[in-house]
Amino acid sequence: MKAELSPRRQVFLYGLLCVLLIPFVFPTWWMVTSSVKPISDIFAFPPQLVPESYDWTTYSKVFELQPFVKQYWNSAYVAALVTVGTMIVSSMAGYAFARIKFPFANAIFVVVLLGLLIPSEVTIVPLFQMFLKAGMVNTHWPLILVPIFGAPSVFATFVMRQFFIALPVELEEAARVDGLGRFKIFRKIALPLARPALASVAIFTFLHSWNLYLEPIVFLSSADKFTLPQALTQYTDAYGGPMWNIQLAAATLTALPVLIVFIIAQKQFVEGLAHTGLKG
Amino acid sequence: MNYHRTLRSAVAALAVAVPLCWSGIANAQDAVNLRMTIWSANEAHLKLFNEIAAGFKKDHPNVTVTYESLPFETYTTALTTQIAGGNAPDMAWIFETAAYDFVNSGALYPLTDTLKATKGYNAEELSATAAERWTKDGKLFAYPFSTSPFAMFVNNDLIKASGAKTPAEMIAANQWTWDNAIATASTVGKTGKGGLIVRDFNYQIWQNLASVWNGWGASPWSADGKTCTMTEKPMVDALTFIHDAVFKNKAMPGPGESVDFFAGNAAMTITQISRASLLPKDKPFAWDLVPLPKGPAGNYALIGQAGVGVMQSGKNAKTAAEFVAYMTNPENSAKLSQFFPSARKSLLNAEVLKKTNPLLSQEQIDKVVISGIATGKVIPGHTGFAQIQQVVRSGLDAVWRPDANIPAALQQICGQIGPLLKR
Amino acid sequence: MAVVQQTARPEGRSSSSFWTIARRDSLAGFLFIAPQLIGITLFVLIPLCLVFWYSLHEWNVLANTFTYTGLANYQMLLEDTSLPSVLGATAIFSAGLVIFNLSLALLLAVLLNQKLAGITIFRTLFFSPVVVSLVAWTIVWGFLLQKNGGINGVLLVFGIEGPNWLREPVTAMISVIVVQVFKNVGLNMILFLAALQGVPNELYEAARIDGAPRFKQFRRITLPLISPTILLTSIITIVGSLQVFAQIAVLTQGGPGLTTTVLVYYLYQQAFQFHFFGYGSTLSIMLFVIVAVLTFAQWQMRKRIVFYES
Repeated sequence: MKAELSPRRQVFLYGLLCVLLIPFVFPTWWMVTSSVKPISDIFAFPPQLVPESYDWTTYSKVFELQPFVKQYWNSAYVAALVTVGTMIVSSMAGYAFARIKFPFANAIFVVVLLGLLIPSEVTIVPLFQMFLKAGMVNTHWPLILVPIFGAPSVFATFVMRQFFIALPVELEEAARVDGLGRFKIFRKIALPLARPALASVAIFTFLHSWNLYLEPIVFLSSADKFTLPQALTQYTDAYGGPMWNIQLAAATLTALPVLIVFIIAQKQFVEGLAHTGLKG
Repeated sequence: MNYHRTLRSAVAALAVAVPLCWSGIANAQDAVNLRMTIWSANEAHLKLFNEIAAGFKKDHPNVTVTYESLPFETYTTALTTQIAGGNAPDMAWIFETAAYDFVNSGALYPLTDTLKATKGYNAEELSATAAERWTKDGKLFAYPFSTSPFAMFVNNDLIKASGAKTPAEMIAANQWTWDNAIATASTVGKTGKGGLIVRDFNYQIWQNLASVWNGWGASPWSADGKTCTMTEKPMVDALTFIHDAVFKNKAMPGPGESVDFFAGNAAMTITQISRASLLPKDKPFAWDLVPLPKGPAGNYALIGQAGVGVMQSGKNAKTAAEFVAYMTNPENSAKLSQFFPSARKSLLNAEVLKKTNPLLSQEQIDKVVISGIATGKVIPGHTGFAQIQQVVRSGLDAVWRPDANIPAALQQICGQIGPLLKR
Repeated sequence: MAVVQQTARPEGRSSSSFWTIARRDSLAGFLFIAPQLIGITLFVLIPLCLVFWYSLHEWNVLANTFTYTGLANYQMLLEDTSLPSVLGATAIFSAGLVIFNLSLALLLAVLLNQKLAGITIFRTLFFSPVVVSLVAWTIVWGFLLQKNGGINGVLLVFGIEGPNWLREPVTAMISVIVVQVFKNVGLNMILFLAALQGVPNELYEAARIDGAPRFKQFRRITLPLISPTILLTSIITIVGSLQVFAQIAVLTQGGPGLTTTVLVYYLYQQAFQFHFFGYGSTLSIMLFVIVAVLTFAQWQMRKRIVFYES
């Protein structure tokens, strides 16, 4: 599959890819261009592909109307904590499910998998009641603890387990013969080899946390605690109507860093995943 | 990495921190924190609300009021989630469509006694029609702080270009009727531009069509809310009229067509006057604001409302009620009315309204705003409205087809919402 | 596949009589999974039990009434006349979504797995919707799918009069599926891309020497070798498809009629918009059972369709 393509095939492939790209790129293009349109032009019909007049003040208003820097920081640090935490929790659990023999392992694995199956809408009300009792409403704790330990991390555990199953066991066995304890084997031998799987877990987890919408709305109530997706909804005019151009400017600022990271990291990411041998 | 320990220390930290906070304010006696959920996140609004809170604090130094902005579209949902989770706010804004749910459920603290006991409050000033939806058994459960009439915005440039008569001309000739309005919309519609738009209706928010069918004297259910009246003649006639306007005369954009009046793409739109702020500044057109046209049943008006209520479950409901009384006293009502038209009679005069609606002329204010607020019916609402809304929305989809059998579709809707209305 | 791998016993280790290697291992295993297990108990199992508890009650949030009604809510499931069409819509939506999502993801992955200058840029662009704000995404698509919108505009150039996408039952369903797929197919695409790169080149070379055509190579070599990934992505996508509702809420509000009202949207309406938390919880339990059964079935099926297991 990796053979060089003939020039004619290359042209054909470029053409095909460009056509396929349209539905993927057009909305992003619209989001970015509309963020500098005056509000009356945004819903102009037919949509303007290139803004007819520019209004760059939308970007300064993003920062004036909301504590946007603070909100950016909230999203960033919550996502970072969740990513690191999930990597730790899921690599440990994934390793244990793949390698260590302990009683009820199968049954426990099935129970853990339940987490994969439950929409967050289903458990949001009881979770809210629990966090209210714990005094954690309007703090970032629910947005950190639930993803790291709860349902969202199950997918990560699953990925890690599949990775460790595919990993040759010989190295670890040698280390055991040398008298290394379980934890040391995990940390010194298995974990460094798991870097590619950890990378994919990191990206999926980060994206999930970065885009979380329902939970912040339910758990957070003061503007300086908001995360970005929630903050976007707060740009409204004097009558509760959304200020679309400013919302879209904020949305652009939200998407940009993630895209840039993806561009830089995508090669490692894809190859990392390829080496995990992600198997069902 | 011990999860237990992390969690425990987190809880412990909170356990230490919370009493510390409390001891900090324990010096002021009976410190009270009140929280009001609102659906505006607008800076100018919040500035005014905070001023009002500061004013209240002067007389009640122990009371601090904070405002929590929930997203507009999911406001009621977010509010009920908080209530379900046991974290109800002390005070909440309430949409007119959800009013019956809140008022009838017993979730709200009665305000009448507190308002009457407030000096200089002048509770009688609030017209009974404005208070109707927020009242049960003679007690006011939420104060309608915003009363905004629906009216017709007109793009005279488009109408003149098409050669049709403008609403102003028709009003002068006493011909401002729905038939003539649709004729004009149809003429513009045939030029490729949009005719008449009921804003935000979009074939989903059907209650906004009350701005049309009230002219036929139609109503989705009886006054006591128990019986579906959509199969009765006024409603059938009104919907047939709208259906013809859409599918025969091309006078209204059809389902799935989007046209924006404020971008200059349509002849007329029905919406609340507060939307005057959307009129374009960079590419202006000659616009007008006129009352809704006369229907077969005569002249009529429609208003949208928003109320503010005190949650019964709050620990400080009495203080919260005092705050609502302060927030809506004549002086603060005047301040609020720059954003939210007040239903207080003393504020319903052209002089006050002119200040708050600088875009409107004296005549527009007289004809549209004052008489609208004074005579307008509130858009339809009912206990369990969200569900009824949804069922009717889905049932009306059968009406919005070129070959629709309107009486049959309405018959079916009544069959479905009948049991819901009786609940 | 055995969930727990047999590990070779190391020899010659001195250990106290109680702390046998097996016991040590058990302890280590439990310690390793403890964070996850406690988390699942706290944030999944207990809430799920609470939801089940709610489902036995009539809970009116506003009136603050919480009355035990036994199985009345489950009785209501049977009598709910909307439910059959909701379940039908859910099945069509999920099936359509999974099929379209997986085939598009696989197609893109194959295309993007070629040696081609600038392929990185294409990968990034196909992935970009994953990070674009959902609100912006749905607004734009709402625009494009209008009767007089961009898509029909393009069709008109070719002399085709396009349908009223969001207002006709069939096209509305297609629209919500397609919009959802375009938003998220990038994730599956990356998973497939990774799987394709994991297929050893030697196999293709051998096939080429044997003179097998490209399509045959794909069917005989590629598909079997990436079948584990297909299984994984199909599970993730099916589970995900049963949890989608924001786009539906914006694009069609479940209409026309009830044709795009899927189960999660319906339960969201019942619980959060109509304030029937008890009945909403009952629907949640039903959704949970459906997802669990489906996932179990897929997991069982893997033995038949998945080519190899380690």
